[in-house]
Amino acid sequence: MKSKAPESLHTHNRRHFLRAGAATLALPTLEAFSAPAPDASAPRNFISVGTWLGWHQNAFFPKDAGTDYEMSKTLMPLNELRDTFTVFSGLDHRAPNGHGSWSNFLSGATPATYSLDQMVADEIGEKTRFASFELTAGAGEVSKSMSYTRQGVGLPMIQRPSVLYKQLFISKADQKRTEYVLQSGKSALDMVLEDALRLQKSLPGRDGAKLDEYFESFRAVEKRMGRQLDSINDPVPETNYKLPSYDPITPNLQIEAEEIMYDLMVLALETESTRVMSLFLHGLGQVFSFDGEALSAGYHGLSHHGNDPVMINDLVSIETAHIHCLARFIRQLQEKKNTAGKTLLDDTVILLGTGMGDASRHSNANLPTLVAGGGFQHGNHIATDPKQADAPLLGDLYITLMQRLGMEVDQFSNASRNMNQLFS
Amino acid sequence: MKPFAFLSYFFAGLLAGSLYGEEIPKGVQHIISNSCLECHDSLSEKGDVNLEQVSIDWSNPHDLDVWLRALDAVDDGLMPPPEEKQLSDAERETVLTFLDTKMLEHTPIGGTLPRRLNQGEYEATIRKLLSLPKFKLPVGFPNDTEHHGFDNLGEGLVLSPSHLDGYAKVARSIADQIFPPAKEAAKKQAWEAGPEDMVLSFSAATVHGDALRLVSRSVDIMRSCSWPSRIEIKDSGTYQISVDASQFLSEKGHSFEEPMILEVYARPVSATDRSRVSDFRLIKEIKVTSEKSESTEFEADLYTGETVLFRWANAEMTHAYSELTDQLEDWFEQDPRFLAAWQKAVFPKDDFKSIQTTSLRGRNGWNIISKHRANPDLDLSRATMDSEMTRRLLKLTNSYNGTFNFADALCHFYHERGPALELHQLTIEGPSKLIKSPENLAREKLQEKITGVRKEEQSKEVFAREMLKAFLPRAFRKPVSDETVKSYLTIATRHWDEGHSLDEGLHLLLRNILVSPRFLYRSLEPGEMNDFDLATRLSYFLTQGPADAKLVDLAQRNRLSITQPSESDKNKTEYWVIRREADRLLPKKHTDRMIQSFVGQWLDTRTLSGIMPDPKFNFGEESTRIAKYETERSFVEMLNTNRPMTDFIDPDFTFASVDFIQRNYGFTPPFALKEGTKLSSSEKRKLRKVDIKRGGRHGGLLGQASILMATANGVDTQPVIRGVWVLENILGMAPPPPPKDVPALTPDTQGTTNPREMLTAHTKDAACSACHQSIDPVGFVLENYDPVGRWRTEWPGTNAGIDPSGVLPDGTKIRNAIEFKAWLVENIDLFSECLAEQLMTYATGRVPNYAEKREIEEIVKINHENGNGFRDLILALVESKTFRTR
Repeated sequence: MKSKAPESLHTHNRRHFLRAGAATLALPTLEAFSAPAPDASAPRNFISVGTWLGWHQNAFFPKDAGTDYEMSKTLMPLNELRDTFTVFSGLDHRAPNGHGSWSNFLSGATPATYSLDQMVADEIGEKTRFASFELTAGAGEVSKSMSYTRQGVGLPMIQRPSVLYKQLFISKADQKRTEYVLQSGKSALDMVLEDALRLQKSLPGRDGAKLDEYFESFRAVEKRMGRQLDSINDPVPETNYKLPSYDPITPNLQIEAEEIMYDLMVLALETESTRVMSLFLHGLGQVFSFDGEALSAGYHGLSHHGNDPVMINDLVSIETAHIHCLARFIRQLQEKKNTAGKTLLDDTVILLGTGMGDASRHSNANLPTLVAGGGFQHGNHIATDPKQADAPLLGDLYITLMQRLGMEVDQFSNASRNMNQLFS
Repeated sequence: MKPFAFLSYFFAGLLAGSLYGEEIPKGVQHIISNSCLECHDSLSEKGDVNLEQVSIDWSNPHDLDVWLRALDAVDDGLMPPPEEKQLSDAERETVLTFLDTKMLEHTPIGGTLPRRLNQGEYEATIRKLLSLPKFKLPVGFPNDTEHHGFDNLGEGLVLSPSHLDGYAKVARSIADQIFPPAKEAAKKQAWEAGPEDMVLSFSAATVHGDALRLVSRSVDIMRSCSWPSRIEIKDSGTYQISVDASQFLSEKGHSFEEPMILEVYARPVSATDRSRVSDFRLIKEIKVTSEKSESTEFEADLYTGETVLFRWANAEMTHAYSELTDQLEDWFEQDPRFLAAWQKAVFPKDDFKSIQTTSLRGRNGWNIISKHRANPDLDLSRATMDSEMTRRLLKLTNSYNGTFNFADALCHFYHERGPALELHQLTIEGPSKLIKSPENLAREKLQEKITGVRKEEQSKEVFAREMLKAFLPRAFRKPVSDETVKSYLTIATRHWDEGHSLDEGLHLLLRNILVSPRFLYRSLEPGEMNDFDLATRLSYFLTQGPADAKLVDLAQRNRLSITQPSESDKNKTEYWVIRREADRLLPKKHTDRMIQSFVGQWLDTRTLSGIMPDPKFNFGEESTRIAKYETERSFVEMLNTNRPMTDFIDPDFTFASVDFIQRNYGFTPPFALKEGTKLSSSEKRKLRKVDIKRGGRHGGLLGQASILMATANGVDTQPVIRGVWVLENILGMAPPPPPKDVPALTPDTQGTTNPREMLTAHTKDAACSACHQSIDPVGFVLENYDPVGRWRTEWPGTNAGIDPSGVLPDGTKIRNAIEFKAWLVENIDLFSECLAEQLMTYATGRVPNYAEKREIEEIVKINHENGNGFRDLILALVESKTFRTR
């Protein structure tokens, strides 16, 4: 095994990024490293947001289809932004029902398999400092996953804003620590090498030759450490953003945590630290208070509303609060521009949805779905009828999203068409 | 896959008969040229076998392999093919004796390459070596390569730069955990929390002006407790805590005579809301006796990441089933109007159809009930304790959902009227003194395990040398030389000389030990295996991890390899200690690492979770889990109860649920048919040992859903794939890889031809037929099993009945799977040799060569003759020279 190019490319990009973060975000050599995009207007970022308890369908879906639809109750905070997003109804993955199958949201017909965000990350994530981030707000427990690797491994999610912040904006102290670890590690390697050589000498030919793999890898790792050390003092992105003194990780602080996570996502996109992020919005028994009034039951309790109007009303007020956070996110992305002068919103495909169609019945059909940004023609409510024989699947929309992001794919889970005709 | 490429054939062809190697005796040459060369000359090379040679270069692996295949084919009676002239007994004897002698001479026992620890072994090793029982490799750690069906073979375990980089990163995070970097100095802090800063969960708490009310004593914290959500202790220490609390009572509510007990717990902020109070540390009990707010101040130890949690321990309200039912019953009896209001809320249509009670959760439920109660027109006609509706209401109360939903509604009665416990203000200040958290203490213990205790006035250098002398042999799994100790000691001393702390030096040391080849590889010592290597091989074979203290002790005293003359046969030597130790270490449960790893790879149960059966088979995740369990648990049963080898093929037991057997295998286990046996649905789903009849369609490896699944693709079956699988994993006759230019069979969905017709056409070619003669019969015979192992009689999409019959390579005609199983039972040694070879490959990390296979054959034969079982077989394998040689 020879040491190969990908690693060096990775480091190069990292260095390059680090420089970029320091001064302005514009850098002439940028093009040298990214593959020529098939379409310069193609968005480069992908954000997915999912709720554990679904979205109350009657309040989420607008009553009419088409461009003249009246804004629905849940989506009201997006009213002034209606040209920036499209609502979809009638789509799902034909996946099994129940909380257990929730992860069909990004995985498709077979829950807990290779998820959309990871497919995108595997394709375009390599080019940034972090291939992807998996985030959550409101989770008192982190055993669940929304994102799954190619091998079907559920990825852990970052729950504390401070942890994400630390990764994005390395502090001087952390930088020093990394430098120390690399420096000391590198100098100590000599002694390990000395012992390894002694070991190799004692082995008969074939066995000794087998250890050549070790020495080749050793040199590759040593070189890599050297390169990392060279770039360690390159400036890192800085920010004035202030986190609260505590991490809002208890479920009742979900909306607060959600806002901060969105803010940090804007910063991550702005500094081109990553291109792919997912945000999981959990829901347990937490009782929210809006304007000083406690709701009539906890989030999870409300989702099992049994069609009680008071419960539904309170449930929708939580979901509206989520959409409020999204609207704030979209506004921020509208205002910021990327290095090529395009707004971050046009540069970012945002998918908001869920794996739960109706939490009151634990049904996973007709999943509320919304796509914002990415330079699509928006302002529409695209209603499809799942009863029709050739009705599109949610996976077909995902194929359209991936193609928009410059990926050459024509398959996702059980879907093999796209929605380019309906949505472009 | 056999590891030779096209080119090596080419060169072998050129070199055949050249100067290299030993000449073939004239007598043998004569037989070969008369009986073999018509097909196997240098021009035809049928089956890629060219025997047109005058001499054989036994040191050339390719030559060795070609002649081995010739030997096997003649020995198994496959060559010359039945339609050709056969060898006379004498000729056969001559050829076989020559080849056997030469093969034994030129395939010395042993030869495993250094084996890098694979993922499973690495995990188990770190867990044991560093006492980190929960250690796991990070997601995305580079995978291991499979070689000859296993991921633990020396040849396959390549070490790439990404592997070494991965190891270096893991080593750093382990070192960070054990010798963490120095923390910033603790700063004193003060937190305040009022009712608005407290968590409201379900109906546990409500806010009323400047008070937070608690009403339930449920042990589930999310039903009864509250805690400040913006306080998280940074430094473990002693803190001053002050709590303002009062009683809340009202005329409409019940009275409360005793002092209210307010429990204060320490809870990690990140603990799940599904915790119970017993999961946390009780730090204070406060007696609240006044309706006026009173402050209580106390000191308590809080650890990093914690906050405080409040519970009213002697509240009237509870969420426990029976207590709640009793409580409601009392209330209903005392107040018919209250009862009628509940009836109206739960059965709004005046019939016995209840609403979904989840909507009565929380304040909403209480509001609905209160509204009904206040309604002057409320129907009281059924508000008696003996009415049918009351009976149904109480039944609902005493159900899992009803309890929680009703209790969550009832909580609001207390929130509104009391009695409730009120919290007004919490302050925490500190730390006044730093303390060690349990995590710190555990870490210190861990450090001490690795470094030993530092004696007074012991220099850093002496301390580290002592540590290395004890730790390196454990990490490297054998005694280490002074030179090696010195190399590693230098790492630490140099670092200290540069001005770094003791812990920093140890951190660096640990990181580097964990990337040493002596740690990452086993099977390193050249020559005969010594006791330490033997201990390591045995332990990794049976536990995936390093030797335990007992094995190490035996190795240190050179006791592991000692022998004694066999009692039954004085000419034989027994390796009784290693045998005894193997018996001790053999896995006992199906979840043990060795079972998951070996069976997972031999029988491919590892691949099951990746197969998604077509929905039409109605075979979901649960079924897949049971299928895997059936195979693994049966294997363990074979081992634990030392069953005869034939029970792998045709046993009288299996492990599954009755439901699974009925659904997938289409019969009801005899015990469940017995008169008077009525199984509840949960009993039907229970996994258990089930007696079955021998000689049936199901039972035994070939009838198990997991294997039939693993050899299909979830949608349809392919006889060739199953056939090859059976040859490789059951019969131990791996066919050579298929020629590259032959396309795979695509099932004819039009249904005009059935699989057998298609394959017949496909293999008409003489070049294909030789291998397919062995592959097809053992593949087609399983065609009655669909992709999830259910019995079927027609090929899907055709009207053609399945024809599973065939002729086995030895000429036996079989009509179906049951007859094939019977044939296997008759010829069980074939299977036993196959399994023994698989076990030996897995254990030694190399594919057994000719001489080793002969030893294995002999062991299988003797095991059979002595009437011994599977456990005996494994123990005999461990005693073999093949196992004991590197």
